[in-house]
Amino acid sequence: MLQKKICMLGSFSVGKSSLLRRFVKNMFDEQYHTSIGVKVDKKVVNVSGEDLTLVLWDIYGEDAFQKMRMSYLRGMHGYVLVVDGTRRQTLDDALALNDRVVSEIGKVPAVLALNKFDLSDQWEIEQAQETQLIAADWTIAHTSAKTGDAVEKAFLRLAQLMRAQ
Amino acid sequence: MPANSIFESFLASQGYALFEYLGDGDFRLLGEWPDWCATLWGAQPKRDQLIGLAEKSPFLENFLVDAQEFWRAHSAGSVNSGNWIERGVDGKEIPLEASARSLDGKPVLLIQNLSESFGQQQQWFQTARNSLLEHEKLLKEIQKKEILLHCIVHDLTQPLSAMNGVFHLLGDGNLPGALRQYVKAGERESRRQELMIRGILEAFSSDLAAQQARESGAYEAPDLLACAKQALEEFSPTFRERHIRLVLGRHAAGPRGWRVVGDASRIDRIFGNLLENAMRYAPKGTSVTIGLQDQDGFVFGFVDDEGPGLPPDRRPDQLFALFSKGKSHAGKAGLGLYFCKITVERWGGAIGAETREPGGSRFWFRLPRAAQTAAGNTTAAARGKSVDKEKPHTNKKAEKSLRILVAEDTELNRDLIIELLKKRGHVAEGVADGRQALAALEKQDFDVVLLDEEMPGITGRQTTAAIRRREAGTGKHQFIIGISGHATQDDEHRFREAGMDASLAKPVEVKTLYQAVEAAAQNVHPGAADSGREADHNVAAATSAAQRRASASSAADAPGNSPADSEDVVSHLRRTTGGNDKLIRSLAAAFLADAPKALSRIRAAVANKNAAELASAAHLLKGSLAIFGAPKAVAAARNLEALGRTDSLREAAAGLRALESEFALLQRELRAIHSVPQAEVESRPPAKPAHKRKRTR
Repeated sequence: MLQKKICMLGSFSVGKSSLLRRFVKNMFDEQYHTSIGVKVDKKVVNVSGEDLTLVLWDIYGEDAFQKMRMSYLRGMHGYVLVVDGTRRQTLDDALALNDRVVSEIGKVPAVLALNKFDLSDQWEIEQAQETQLIAADWTIAHTSAKTGDAVEKAFLRLAQLMRAQ
Repeated sequence: MPANSIFESFLASQGYALFEYLGDGDFRLLGEWPDWCATLWGAQPKRDQLIGLAEKSPFLENFLVDAQEFWRAHSAGSVNSGNWIERGVDGKEIPLEASARSLDGKPVLLIQNLSESFGQQQQWFQTARNSLLEHEKLLKEIQKKEILLHCIVHDLTQPLSAMNGVFHLLGDGNLPGALRQYVKAGERESRRQELMIRGILEAFSSDLAAQQARESGAYEAPDLLACAKQALEEFSPTFRERHIRLVLGRHAAGPRGWRVVGDASRIDRIFGNLLENAMRYAPKGTSVTIGLQDQDGFVFGFVDDEGPGLPPDRRPDQLFALFSKGKSHAGKAGLGLYFCKITVERWGGAIGAETREPGGSRFWFRLPRAAQTAAGNTTAAARGKSVDKEKPHTNKKAEKSLRILVAEDTELNRDLIIELLKKRGHVAEGVADGRQALAALEKQDFDVVLLDEEMPGITGRQTTAAIRRREAGTGKHQFIIGISGHATQDDEHRFREAGMDASLAKPVEVKTLYQAVEAAAQNVHPGAADSGREADHNVAAATSAAQRRASASSAADAPGNSPADSEDVVSHLRRTTGGNDKLIRSLAAAFLADAPKALSRIRAAVANKNAAELASAAHLLKGSLAIFGAPKAVAAARNLEALGRTDSLREAAAGLRALESEFALLQRELRAIHSVPQAEVESRPPAKPAHKRKRTR
């Protein structure tokens, strides 16, 4: 069966592990548990009638304490760039990280997950900003690991993009 | 047991598994197969059995690329994989770390089970990241509160601008004696309110830039004696009215003088608060004494009264607590002494109170003596004084008539500023926003441009930037004065960064307006004053310092009217326009024509969830509503503006409904004003205020 390596990228506490947990196990934990290593999971999805094994790399979030190793991205077919929509700064940090990834790996399919969409009253990303991101060719998903909204859709969309490569 | 076996057993007991790399992705186990290996990868392989680690773990598969490169290069030391987590057959997660190295020339892979240390490490990261998140949350809360605070202060200063201006114009008329007294009392109280608003903003906003300036020594030390004398001068009339003698005690001036760490305007407030406190407790016929003493590295200031002394049931330090109020003098907020405490302590000083031996109480504060500067002796207080002396007399015409452009979106404020400038002999014209200001500047030259900061479209600072871009390379320099409703030192700094030459705080104080504009004249007419840069600096310092000081509290309970919230629209308009019915009708007509458009913009912004547009449209409408009093409508618009600014749109629909309801009430009253003949407006009895009228569904 065809395998595709997907990495979860983004700042700390944006919900990378929670999105994966929701996608793989359909579970969510309200408490924040920080990740300090790499965890690899697998899930089989069906894209256009064909089964595909997604090898999902949950990579710890970057911050002042931990920098991501670019070697983890080796062989990556696509990635989910995760942003906490209630923390505007995490979008800037994610886009800066994306620049590093592209310069290191080259352009591969990616989905920008604007996560924690259930907290819409605390949302800090303006519509105009999203419009700019779409214009810059980003595929955007308004996800909520808590409610599960758009989580599966985001991974399937990425799978389709990778399949089309 | 052979040495090798002992070593291998030791490694296994410490959670290590050791493999020799044989090439082509194959490994051979050296030593023992630890329990965690069995949990992850099943039973121990047979002796010399080839193990494909890459097939067992995608993470290891990735790391082996780095490891192989390391072994091929015969590098010294080791290469490390970083932490990763594998899940065992029992579902248990095991944290691991691998390192590639060479042992006796053989390429080996050492994998360590980190279970023992991992929990602690994770806890450390968890704590650190939780702290970062808490810090972010706190910053956001502070930002939200600051925005709200600035909105409120801005709203409070708008009507004050109008009040100050109207009082000033009224005071210049030929009023009979008693009426003149009332007008003066009104003017004094509106300035007192201005001081309080500014005090709240300065004391409770995190004006870091201003604080940093003080901490870095980029300020001139105030003279405590000058502040004490100023307090004496300002408070003496009020004390006299209450038959209390206010005196300055003996103060033997030492060679070191009275300069202290601090800020003159705030020291004025400290003396003011202590004197107000003394006035409340001092019996008639007694004395209150302001005193100073030299105490080595400190200067000691105090206010003594001959009242009952401190309350026996309260510790002195409790008097300075937040919201602490005297039992028999309810009605004050309990912020005055608290302000004194936090201010003095911020400067490294101390404050206290005690019952005096002969009777009465002493409220004292101690401030560190300021370091002598090489340049010597110009203190902030002295500078403030000299500025005061230089202030123009507001009843005289200016020596030179200037062409002045006033850009201010609130029509009433704009008209008042223009009126005041014309009265002074200047030629002034007004525009409603930054774009119109730029257009006016293209058509003709102005000596001075006054720019409100918060205008629709482009702000005062953006307009300044556009003007400076146009000037680039021409050698011209348009003198620009910014007007801000916030007026912190931080704002002044931002104005300067934007290219403005000076700044004025709302409500615009008449003397300071003339001073700022005419100091600009010295700059634009070479030879009339000092060199440009120096003059600029003086204007900015003067306008802010003088404004803060000019409104020093007189502390009397106001005789006459205050702009109470029970005022109806007609009374409010008659008061703020000086009874100019023509102006009232034109204001009502302008509101009825334009305000519905602003309301439509708000509705659209709420529907489209456009926070920026909501903030802008609500700000505009709020300014218009404030002209008519209508506190509930203003509050509803302010609420929407704050929701827009903080991007909190969940409550916007409810906020809009509240605004629409108040708007409709005001609209009805203004239609009535607009439709009745002028004579009827004048004779119309005051209506019940809109916000107090019972609503029917």
